[in-house]
Amino acid sequence: MKFLFLPLSLILAVTASGKPLKITLPVETAVYKAGPGAELANAQCMTCHSADYAAMQPPKPRDFWKAEVEKMKGKYGAPYSTNDFDGLIGYFANNYGTDTNVVVMPTIAPAPVANGINAKELAIKSGCFNCHQISSKLIGPAYKDVAAKYRNKSDAMAKVAHQITHGGSGQWGPIPMPPFTQFSPAEVKALGEWILSLK
Amino acid sequence: MAKFFVPHLNRRKFLRSAGLLAAGLASVPGKVFSGEKVTLPFAHGERDLVKYPQKRPLIRLTTRPPQLETPFSVFNEGVITPNDAFFVRYHLAGIPTEIDPDTYQVKIGGSVNTPLTLSLADLKKFEPTEVTAVLQCSGNSRGFVTPRVGGGQLANGAMGNAKWKGVRLKDILDKAGLKATAKQVTFNGLDKPILEATPDFVKALDVEQARDGEVMLAYEMNGEALPMLNGFPLRLIVPGYFGTYWVKHVSDITVVDEALANFWMATAYRIPDNGTGFCEAGTVPKATTPIKRYTIRSFITSLADGDKVRTGQAIELKGIAFDGGYGITKVQISDDGGKEWRDATLGQNLGKYSFRPWTAQFTPANDGNYELKVRATNTIGQTQPVESLWNPSGYMRNTIETTHVKAV
Repeated sequence: MKFLFLPLSLILAVTASGKPLKITLPVETAVYKAGPGAELANAQCMTCHSADYAAMQPPKPRDFWKAEVEKMKGKYGAPYSTNDFDGLIGYFANNYGTDTNVVVMPTIAPAPVANGINAKELAIKSGCFNCHQISSKLIGPAYKDVAAKYRNKSDAMAKVAHQITHGGSGQWGPIPMPPFTQFSPAEVKALGEWILSLK
Repeated sequence: MAKFFVPHLNRRKFLRSAGLLAAGLASVPGKVFSGEKVTLPFAHGERDLVKYPQKRPLIRLTTRPPQLETPFSVFNEGVITPNDAFFVRYHLAGIPTEIDPDTYQVKIGGSVNTPLTLSLADLKKFEPTEVTAVLQCSGNSRGFVTPRVGGGQLANGAMGNAKWKGVRLKDILDKAGLKATAKQVTFNGLDKPILEATPDFVKALDVEQARDGEVMLAYEMNGEALPMLNGFPLRLIVPGYFGTYWVKHVSDITVVDEALANFWMATAYRIPDNGTGFCEAGTVPKATTPIKRYTIRSFITSLADGDKVRTGQAIELKGIAFDGGYGITKVQISDDGGKEWRDATLGQNLGKYSFRPWTAQFTPANDGNYELKVRATNTIGQTQPVESLWNPSGYMRNTIETTHVKAV
């Protein structure tokens, strides 16, 4: 029996170390500071990285942010056009730049909207299509697949709305979706209804 | 057989971390473990302490991809940095979160005679090798660089010292057989960019270095499988060289006949090509070269800036020193802001790539403020600069560190 003892132990140890390793990352909460241009940053920058990348940078003047915005497009292939440069540079310089600690940017209240929101246009403007397409999986799931999964469930709207406003991960793949907090409740509702209507 | 049961291991681990936590609280009162947030000592230094899988709460630099800094009090716990406290640095958000080690493979191809596909079990059939080596981020301490520069705004916690076990890269390359035209060996891991337009993170070493017998593919870190966020199940170990070369989740090793000129070699991770790696603050260097070995550094770990000590009472200062692999020969201490220096006592030598622990006595004779400084010297005479040096990316900072304490 003593001869059996050691080999059996070793077999157990090897089995234990060979298990698949799976981790779940904490849900992302950082968003860009509210202010003119925030919708551009939320739409264009959060595809590839979280908002805390900007928040940690030292307070630097406009030239610093110009170089960053140009680098993200030139070196990392950020999807925004050169027409967006001024808007993005201005937003970051004003909200994370040299004057950050003395100038408080006014928070823009969500525009009053009710019916008649063009959800697809809103999705395009907000950068949703950086990660999603209607019919095929890109970084996130196809909207049609989201609709198919939730459409017949009683809490479908609540689920989709929560995903938009809080982000999340784990249901569709390893790349987490950031939270999009810039939408008004009416806009979230319009986006959710539009997504769930897609077939 | 019971000694292999998981619950027992968990319990031991729990007891160990509970003890260390208590020790950390005693040595650096309330500095890091007291709440959910810390403020690093530079502008925009507010950070959350967040617990990630297989990690204790660490200082979060960024959420996606995750970048986590080790609270500095950890370095006073011992000369080895525990896996659950080891810093995390990714470049691209497409990081692996699930890996089956039984089906994991690494491919060796390019300018070789026999392309190979090796499983972890295959790798473990090669002769194992071990090294205790510091891993340090190129931008460690960037938040202290003056004038400030863009990038990951780290304090001094993007470094760690671990015992790595794995297989010599040389043995793998020799088995594949390098062609005579081979110039560099490139390394790609499972981490991927989100957009196709973003350059994948691939790094390269010259063939001579790749075959030096020290560069390693590690499957163990401090006696355990690597944590996922540190490169499970296989990571490149390049002793003495900055962390940018230590590719995580290594999946493809490709031998090439031309030097790799991608973004991560030809544009990023470069320093002034003038022999020093530094240049006049605020200037753009004429020519640059890829970053290589660590500069020499030393730290006091047993006291934090702003701590109070008892007047007239002798205390033992503790700390660490390391360099790019030449070997630490001397550590000196000053308690008067750098006017007078005396030798510290070097501790256990775990090899030329490891943290070298040191101790020194300090007795504050009078009430008041003391400026404690520490500087190291290595076998080739390198030491640390009094005034901080600068380069555009904030790499390789190694200024003599100062710890301000007050005797009461």
